[in-house]
Amino acid sequence: MPDTTTSAPNLQDAVIVGGNRIPFARAGSRYLGASNQDMFTAALDGLVARYGLQGEQLGEVVAGAVLKHSRDFNLVRESVLGSALSPTTPAFDLQQACATGLEAFITVANKIRLGQIDSAIAGGVDTVSDAPIAISDRLRSALLQASYAKTLGQRAKALATVRPKDLAPANPRTDEPRTGLSMGEHQAITTAKWEISREDQDLIAYNSHHNLARAYNNGFFDDLVTPFRGLSRDQNLREDTSLEKLASLSPAFGKSLSTPATMTAGNSTALTDGASTVLVANREWAKKRNLTPLARFVDAQTAAVDYVHGREGLLMAPVHAVPRLLERNGLTLQDFDFYEIHEAFAATVLTTLAAWEDDEYCRTELNLPQALGAIDRERLNVTGSSLAAGHPFAATGARILAGVAKLLHERAASTGKPARALVSVCAAGGLGAVAIVESA
Amino acid sequence: MPQDRYTSFVKSGFGKKLAKKLGLPQPVQLRRHTPGAPPVTGPVLVLSAGAGNAAGTGGTGSAASDADAVAGLLLNGLGSDETIDVRRSPHTAEGTRWGAVIVVTTQAEHPRDLSDAMLALGGTLRALASSGRVVFVSRDAADASSPAQAAVRQGVVSAMRSVAKELRNGATANALVLRDDATVTGTPALAALRFLLSAKSAFVDGQPVTISSDTGHVPQDWEKPLAGKVAVVTGAAQGIGASIAATLARDGARVVAVDVPAAGESLSKVANKISGTALQLDITSPDAGKRIIDHAVERHGGIDIVIHNAGITRDKLLANMDNARWDSVIDVNISAQLAMNEQFLASDRFRDAPRIVSLASTSGIAGNRGQTNYGASKGGVIGMVAASARALAEHGGTINAVAPGFIETAMTTKIPLATREVARRLNALQQGGQPVDVAETIAFLASPATGGINGEVVRVCGQNMVGA
Amino acid sequence: MTLPPIDRPGTVRELDRVPSLMALYAKALTPDPADVARLGARILPDALRPKQRTATIDDRHRSLPDVALKVRGVTANPQGLREYQNLLGFPRTEDLPAGYVHVLAFPVAMAVMAAPDFPLPLAGMVHLENRVDVDRTLTVGETFTVTAWASNLSGHLKGTRVDLIVEVSDPEGVVWRGVSTYLAKGTYTHGRGNDTGAAREFTPPLPTGSWSLGAGIGREYAAVSGDRNPIHLSALTAKAFGFPRAIAHGMYTAARALADARPLHGERYSWTVEFAKPVLLPEKVAVAITPHNAGGASYVGWNSKTGKLHFSGEISPL
Repeated sequence: MPDTTTSAPNLQDAVIVGGNRIPFARAGSRYLGASNQDMFTAALDGLVARYGLQGEQLGEVVAGAVLKHSRDFNLVRESVLGSALSPTTPAFDLQQACATGLEAFITVANKIRLGQIDSAIAGGVDTVSDAPIAISDRLRSALLQASYAKTLGQRAKALATVRPKDLAPANPRTDEPRTGLSMGEHQAITTAKWEISREDQDLIAYNSHHNLARAYNNGFFDDLVTPFRGLSRDQNLREDTSLEKLASLSPAFGKSLSTPATMTAGNSTALTDGASTVLVANREWAKKRNLTPLARFVDAQTAAVDYVHGREGLLMAPVHAVPRLLERNGLTLQDFDFYEIHEAFAATVLTTLAAWEDDEYCRTELNLPQALGAIDRERLNVTGSSLAAGHPFAATGARILAGVAKLLHERAASTGKPARALVSVCAAGGLGAVAIVESA
Repeated sequence: MPQDRYTSFVKSGFGKKLAKKLGLPQPVQLRRHTPGAPPVTGPVLVLSAGAGNAAGTGGTGSAASDADAVAGLLLNGLGSDETIDVRRSPHTAEGTRWGAVIVVTTQAEHPRDLSDAMLALGGTLRALASSGRVVFVSRDAADASSPAQAAVRQGVVSAMRSVAKELRNGATANALVLRDDATVTGTPALAALRFLLSAKSAFVDGQPVTISSDTGHVPQDWEKPLAGKVAVVTGAAQGIGASIAATLARDGARVVAVDVPAAGESLSKVANKISGTALQLDITSPDAGKRIIDHAVERHGGIDIVIHNAGITRDKLLANMDNARWDSVIDVNISAQLAMNEQFLASDRFRDAPRIVSLASTSGIAGNRGQTNYGASKGGVIGMVAASARALAEHGGTINAVAPGFIETAMTTKIPLATREVARRLNALQQGGQPVDVAETIAFLASPATGGINGEVVRVCGQNMVGA
Repeated sequence: MTLPPIDRPGTVRELDRVPSLMALYAKALTPDPADVARLGARILPDALRPKQRTATIDDRHRSLPDVALKVRGVTANPQGLREYQNLLGFPRTEDLPAGYVHVLAFPVAMAVMAAPDFPLPLAGMVHLENRVDVDRTLTVGETFTVTAWASNLSGHLKGTRVDLIVEVSDPEGVVWRGVSTYLAKGTYTHGRGNDTGAAREFTPPLPTGSWSLGAGIGREYAAVSGDRNPIHLSALTAKAFGFPRAIAHGMYTAARALADARPLHGERYSWTVEFAKPVLLPEKVAVAITPHNAGGASYVGWNSKTGKLHFSGEISPL
């Protein structure tokens, strides 16, 4: 038996050294027939190729998918085995709805900080074009009973309970299980509550498309995106969209509310397929492989809100997470060079900002002495976000992280001063994850 | 690999008979390099032609010394520990198949001096092995001190071309042409002999390879001549570029595979197969050269070899040509290379015997209907290479071009069948080359041993009739 | 602690088991011989008319029988409970949702209404409102006693109201009490009441949820509740009773609201519902649940298209 107990190691820096994703495709289009595993393996292989990680045994690969087949119980590990990484690289699946990618990053970054691993890939993948379609609960129950039946009679009895309508497939639910409202309807309620205008939402969408297009045209994504199945840019991107075009679209959500419906297909994120990865490591690992640390993980916070009983909007959890994160790190909302606020809907970004600007709300709901205040909108989603790129649920986190890490590195290189970014991702179930990253 | 159905057909029992009866071309499967394979497959005969020299007998005096030196090189395994069966006499046991015949004419002074050696060579041709080799070692007519000397030197190259056209069964004939500063025992000559004798030069036929100096050093391991080198290959996502990347990696180089972002998916597959890194980049962007250097230096600690393989075609008769077609071909195929080379040459990281190999084309030499833009760009490459040789030489480096003929790639399978068949057969080997044939030639020019080959164009065309 | 006692009828008649709802419905929907007689009277020649019975219809309709029905040893069937929990969205635990206790006890109340001396016709009875007081949560292994009686016969603009009171007790006392208020439409025994009949003003709030109720939800609830009232089963059977399509069970909607608001109430609470327009299936019902600061919540459900109110209620700590 030992005479002394072991002591915890000192924390190390977890740094983002790069990332890779495949372009995001519109649902039922270019990636029809590609599985989550196909797409995530492609994203991994692109990353391996970019950073020369062939045959490397990484500390861990952590990712997930929101819409998952039951056969994909080990999706990430299976993807690793099919990739150019060493087959001795461990992996696991993780899921936190749309925050999956960010949560995967937080998980591996914390492991790296603790010295448990030296390197990792975090990421996510989702396809609605290859979504699982389940059999009905009654058919499933009958089949299970029949499979456990000991006699022919029992089996026949179990199967006899199946009715013709039970044979119809059960589509995956996209609405919140506890409220029966789709995410769009939920956001429409929050949008109405905060009286967000159609024009403001369209402007967010317009900026998203134009910022993303500019970034592509400037080659910003040359080392962030690897084409897949002949697609080399996000399919949802509308380089030529205008405020007039956006204004001409008819509302898609909130039509049954007593307030005017303001959310359209243009200012809401389309269903998309895609996969993304971000490479995280400690500084020593990066140095050994001649990789430049782009950004350092500072801290993260998750939060959840009670949307079921109308206390808060479904997608408002980041609003609650950010003040806790700011307080712990002694920062104000204005202390950031970049804000990456996931555009589930343009209105999500705007209700989030409106809430932070609202004195009364910040005092009563967030228990703050006053409003967090406004941000400089010029620093918001400067290379576009989900409205333009699309949002394959679990893939959004790593898309944002890899991009913002590059932005931070470039900013620090050009100014000679450190740069800092706030990342915010809302998620189904009233969840939200937020993180701070700084130039490394 | 794209299939040559005709070759498969005429190799089948029925097809073979039919082709013979009809007098159709009967291309053979060329021998190609496999790692560890010996440079030659049978005994090597060294003949010499010189003033007062009796063919094949070794002889005495200076006339024999270059041939002796070449035989000595062979006996020493061409710089490796391989055993090569070297003969100086064409008289040999019945049934012997010559792996190669080397005719050393460096010391010929007059066209008359050729006869013995040429006739001796002729006597061996029927006994030349399949995919056998004839290599002339000569000197450059440009350096001749007398008209007679110039005549014999020029004559050797032309004789070599005719021999190449006469050879069958995948055999090739080529010539090493030494300038004044180069010797037959110099490292570049050694490396060139190894290359031309080996299966790596399968589709190089009827070509003079000029060696201007003895610069270069023998690699520690001929299997890994590029060990420790960092090579950049543009247009590496597919076809010839992918093959170049794989060949350089096989030879020990760490490869940066470059292609346009849109080709990223196959680029990443290429990079992963060879444990290189993928760099998605538009080579026409103004900072392309700098970004390549940054990537290579940051990830791999340096940059030694650049292969300008990226190229496009936008064919159109000149009468119908538009701005976009003309400009894009010029931009990608030559302007980008000029701009990048400037950035490479300005970089202090591109100083240690750097190598640039640029892809020209037989169309750039001979011209091709509907390819005015392409021809201009590829001719431009040849001009650029010649003019840049001096700048590279300052750092012990070289710049050369490789001009492929008809190569079986995804691109050439798009050529209409009839045109493709003609293009394929219109060479001495009666078949199209493989991407790897281009890649092997590039690897040869990129190796540290070939510092004495600079500003040259080597054709990989199976002695194409076009532009000969 | 148990629920404070309330007045019970003087007589308690004990049944040996919970009666079958099917039998009760069959009885309720079989025409009353007296009604047949009246109908016959109009079409038959005088000679063939049956003799007038001695007790007049009016006498029978004026007062409620002073009797309670009681069943001991009532217990929940685990399979039935699970099906109820699945359909309504309650967690699959041993706990009996308050709405399921209603389901278990409801046949006893039906038996009260189906008794020959009950003054109102059972067929066409409309559920107006419901209140349940819960003292503690019952669990699946327990046996308990159900007592039911009618009370508070009163006039209404459209007929006559009556409360059906159901108590569930354990040896300590009453732990669950339901008061279901029904309206016998078109039967006036106590005048027209004070109700002016003015429809309540209703402006839909922002919803917190949405229920997509399929055409089969009535049948599904009938299967788990045993309440196979034809107005819930199909458009055809509903039409026979004057509804254009099948309508959702009121207690289905109230129990779903309870399930949705479940985390907001404690162990002891009351749960009320007031029914407005029936939910014609299939329909998308918009729901808003508003939590109370002091615990509990109010809830309201309306037609998401027309904005017409379906139901509203409260869940409050006791």
